[in-house]
Amino acid sequence: MRPHRKKRLAIIAFIALSMSAAAGLTMFALSQNINMFYSPTQIANGEVANDLHFRIGGMVKAGSVEKSQDSLKVNFVTTDFVNDVPIQYEGILPDLFREGQGVVAEGALSAQGIFVATKVLAKHDENYMSPEVKAAMEAAGASPQNHSGLSEQ
Amino acid sequence: MWLWFAKLGSPKWFYELSSKWLPWLVGAMAILLSVGVIWGLLFLPPDYQQGYSSRILIVHVAVAGTSLAFFPLMAVAGTITLVWRMKLADMVAKNAAPLGAWFSFITLATGSIWGSVSWGTWWEWTDSRLVSMLFQFFLLLGVISLRSALEDSDKAAKACALLSIVGCINVVIIKYSVEWWNTLHQPSSPVSLSPDSPNGPEFWIATGIMILAVYLFLAVSLILATRNEILVRERQAQWVQDLVRQE
Repeated sequence: MRPHRKKRLAIIAFIALSMSAAAGLTMFALSQNINMFYSPTQIANGEVANDLHFRIGGMVKAGSVEKSQDSLKVNFVTTDFVNDVPIQYEGILPDLFREGQGVVAEGALSAQGIFVATKVLAKHDENYMSPEVKAAMEAAGASPQNHSGLSEQ
Repeated sequence: MWLWFAKLGSPKWFYELSSKWLPWLVGAMAILLSVGVIWGLLFLPPDYQQGYSSRILIVHVAVAGTSLAFFPLMAVAGTITLVWRMKLADMVAKNAAPLGAWFSFITLATGSIWGSVSWGTWWEWTDSRLVSMLFQFFLLLGVISLRSALEDSDKAAKACALLSIVGCINVVIIKYSVEWWNTLHQPSSPVSLSPDSPNGPEFWIATGIMILAVYLFLAVSLILATRNEILVRERQAQWVQDLVRQE
């Protein structure tokens, strides 16, 4: 390679490296703020200020969903299999809202420790399967719900 | 190797070589794309929870994955432009940007439609995967505007090359956003060889065909656009004049 080309290549490499370093440091500094939601364990550890409007993410605990007969009110418990947070919500739930599946709820904690949600979103995990495979797996006694797609904190 | 590299930089050589390759690439693309689309959208088994809306993901995953190739491609072309001053590299980079913007747009649109059905929302500003993908779309629009804003085409090529190299950082962020942070967007699915487990062959073979097809579509579109660019920029050259006279 000719010297002037080597020099140009070195300048480009330097720019690319310094920009990557700058981006990396920015990401590192922002890492907590970029998270979309807190897990029930983070809330139990007091990582969230009580009067804050925030999002919570976890699994809907099996058997915890109580729907009101005459309104759109619904109560359920979200869990990361270590800690639980009860959630109260009034509104239309997404189609994929199921027991044992991931949800992200937006709202605030009440004085009684109940999370009053203004919005509930369903989270789909990275596992796709046909109804036949699902049935076969249930017959074999395996549950795919352990792969929640929620990172453990 | 250096001779081959120097040859590749010759627009005439690229034009002649691509004339030979194009029919094969177009043929392979047509076959894979029709197999992928027909299989993926009409015969793929539904997901046990989402039902048939999961079929949107066949298109979404293939286009999204391919859209991440644009910045690295433009960065390699840009580096060649900056270091070796090869005309052909800049012609490729110039035509890659609008294509990349379209790929990003389709990724955002299909993802949004799927999200409205599955998540219960069209868009979430707090999700890092969604926002970094939108950022890539805007960054590509930025590359396109930067080129048209600078009148000196040599300066424009250098500025776009630099922006493309820096833009690669965002590709890494898009790729790992779902692992580094909590997101509503699911992480990429691990491929499973067993037909009795999640993400079995019934899903990933169709997805794989679609990914190959979309990559071929990218290659064919980029080659066709670059050939046009060659004819326009080299219109004074003897070989282009001869070519026009022949036809």
